[in-house]
Amino acid sequence: MKFFPFVWRNLLRNKLRSLLTGGAIALAIALVCILRTMPAGFDHFLEQLATNTRISVHNTAGIVYSMPYAYLARVKSVPGVVDAVSWTWFGGAVDKDDGVTFPSFAVDADSIGVVFADLEIAPETLEHFRTHRDGALVGRQTLRQYGWKPGDVVTLSSLVWPLELSFRISGEIPADVDPRFWFQREYFEQALREQGVSFDQAGMIWARVDDPEQVPAVMRQVDAMFRNSEAETTSETEKSFFQNFFGNLEGFVTVIVIVTALVTLCIVFIAANTASMAVRERVRELAVLKAIGFHWKLLFVTLVAEAALLSTVAGGVGAGLSLGLTGMLRAASGWNQQLGPLSGFVVTNALFVQALFLSFFIGILSGVVPSFGASRRSVAATLREVF
Amino acid sequence: MIELRNVSRFYRRGADEVHALERVSLEIPAGRFVALMGPSGSGKSTLLNILAGLDRPSDGQVSVAGRKLADLSEDELAAFRAAHMGFVFQFFNLIPVFSARENVELPLLLTHLKKAERRARADTALRIVGLAERATHMPGELSGGEQQRVAIARAIVTDPEIVVGDEPTGDLDAKNAEEVLGLLRALKQDFGKTVVIVTHDPRAERYVDEVLLLDKGVFQGSRPGGQTGASPGHGPGGAATAAPGTAGARP
Repeated sequence: MKFFPFVWRNLLRNKLRSLLTGGAIALAIALVCILRTMPAGFDHFLEQLATNTRISVHNTAGIVYSMPYAYLARVKSVPGVVDAVSWTWFGGAVDKDDGVTFPSFAVDADSIGVVFADLEIAPETLEHFRTHRDGALVGRQTLRQYGWKPGDVVTLSSLVWPLELSFRISGEIPADVDPRFWFQREYFEQALREQGVSFDQAGMIWARVDDPEQVPAVMRQVDAMFRNSEAETTSETEKSFFQNFFGNLEGFVTVIVIVTALVTLCIVFIAANTASMAVRERVRELAVLKAIGFHWKLLFVTLVAEAALLSTVAGGVGAGLSLGLTGMLRAASGWNQQLGPLSGFVVTNALFVQALFLSFFIGILSGVVPSFGASRRSVAATLREVF
Repeated sequence: MIELRNVSRFYRRGADEVHALERVSLEIPAGRFVALMGPSGSGKSTLLNILAGLDRPSDGQVSVAGRKLADLSEDELAAFRAAHMGFVFQFFNLIPVFSARENVELPLLLTHLKKAERRARADTALRIVGLAERATHMPGELSGGEQQRVAIARAIVTDPEIVVGDEPTGDLDAKNAEEVLGLLRALKQDFGKTVVIVTHDPRAERYVDEVLLLDKGVFQGSRPGGQTGASPGHGPGGAATAAPGTAGARP
């Protein structure tokens, strides 16, 4: 400990340089922390999005392939299934030039409230939806985006079907970031029939199971039921479905790991550059210290400790910064619904400690080479050069 | 006692071999104030580095305070220097972020002394060099002469037997150079230290007991110091000639 003031005072010798280097390290560590929250954040987002009792059943060939609508009744008959609802992609656009700006599906009006009971859609809204063939349930996000309100009549042009349908909004789907637009399958089928199209398919089926522990068995039974049929099915949990739907999260995590590693490498270079400069300008002093009896190992340790101390303090600041930033995002997500998913990005205590260790090792790594060279240098050779 | 026997030092500089010292033999008895003098490139600093244990000879033997330096490992040599040697350099090389007292305290960090005792010893050393009242000043707040006196305090704070100086007055004006030389003389006179300096400063001759002359790496002999009493109260106490046979060139 008696060498701590020696290390600390040397660290503050060039305050501006230490501040700039520390700032670079702090920002990089903050970035690393935030990047590291993302996999868990997305997981949290999916957890919020999905229940553990809802499963999706879709064509094994992919979600863009349909399956017979008759499957719905058979899924409903599987023991453990409370209810099931079919979804068919409508691809509706408010303005065709803007394309599809929110997902719209034709659903079964009688079952949607049961299968998605967790959304807590108001009973009177569900009743209005069920009893009005042109009714629509619209996510809060889409209502806000277009300034719609219950009772409004809106028209969507399908980019998939030869249809342009008008809907009367029954009410909202009361989830903060829900963009979905649901309308009655019966209304959809009727419109298609008027166009001379007979439609007996479903895009996919959502089923609610009464007991989470029964979910794997139900999924196995459903898929077994349609094996060797014209449209074999794949059942998966809602979370798994959204994971696949939102892309390859594993690939995303890999990218995050690579970016994190590159950022870390950048910090090592920055810190090593500072350590080199700090050592280079003190060659004369180091020679004198060795002359008066400081062992090279002691000088080496104090020089490395200097680099490690700067990096660790800066790392702590950076981790604190990320803590504050994610805290602000969480607070902001309370009033800005668009930021909702960001509330899942949390710098945990474990992540904070990892960041401190990472910055400590960055300091060690950056200090080792210049410190070793300087402390091993012959005193006589240095004195010959500088005196 | 410092004893060198047939000490040579060669360097490789590219393809050439530079002979910095050629078979130098000499003895410096304990308690003497000796100056190594000679033209630039004569090997003075090389000789000083070797007798101070900062460099190793290519050939020959060096004994200091009864220890053969060749027998010591690098670790032991560092410990030996810390215990037996004090160093003063041309450029004072005080650590700019430490106060005068903290700079003087540095060699004591290598001991087991408690902080209070380290501080007391540093203050004593500063008092000896006449800078007790400047203990808390930073090096940048001190004149060149004062900085060199702090460096001398740092050199003696561990109470070493030997103090070596490489051009200790080289960066000082005449007045401060006289003060520093007087101080070094006092170390010998009042504290019985052996003081060896390398210098070009002709004023030093008046303060030292003996001048050892080198040229082109070869020991050229010695002559007595000035014995002028130039430093009031610290004047040399007697003849400073090297004892016959204790200093001399060997072919």
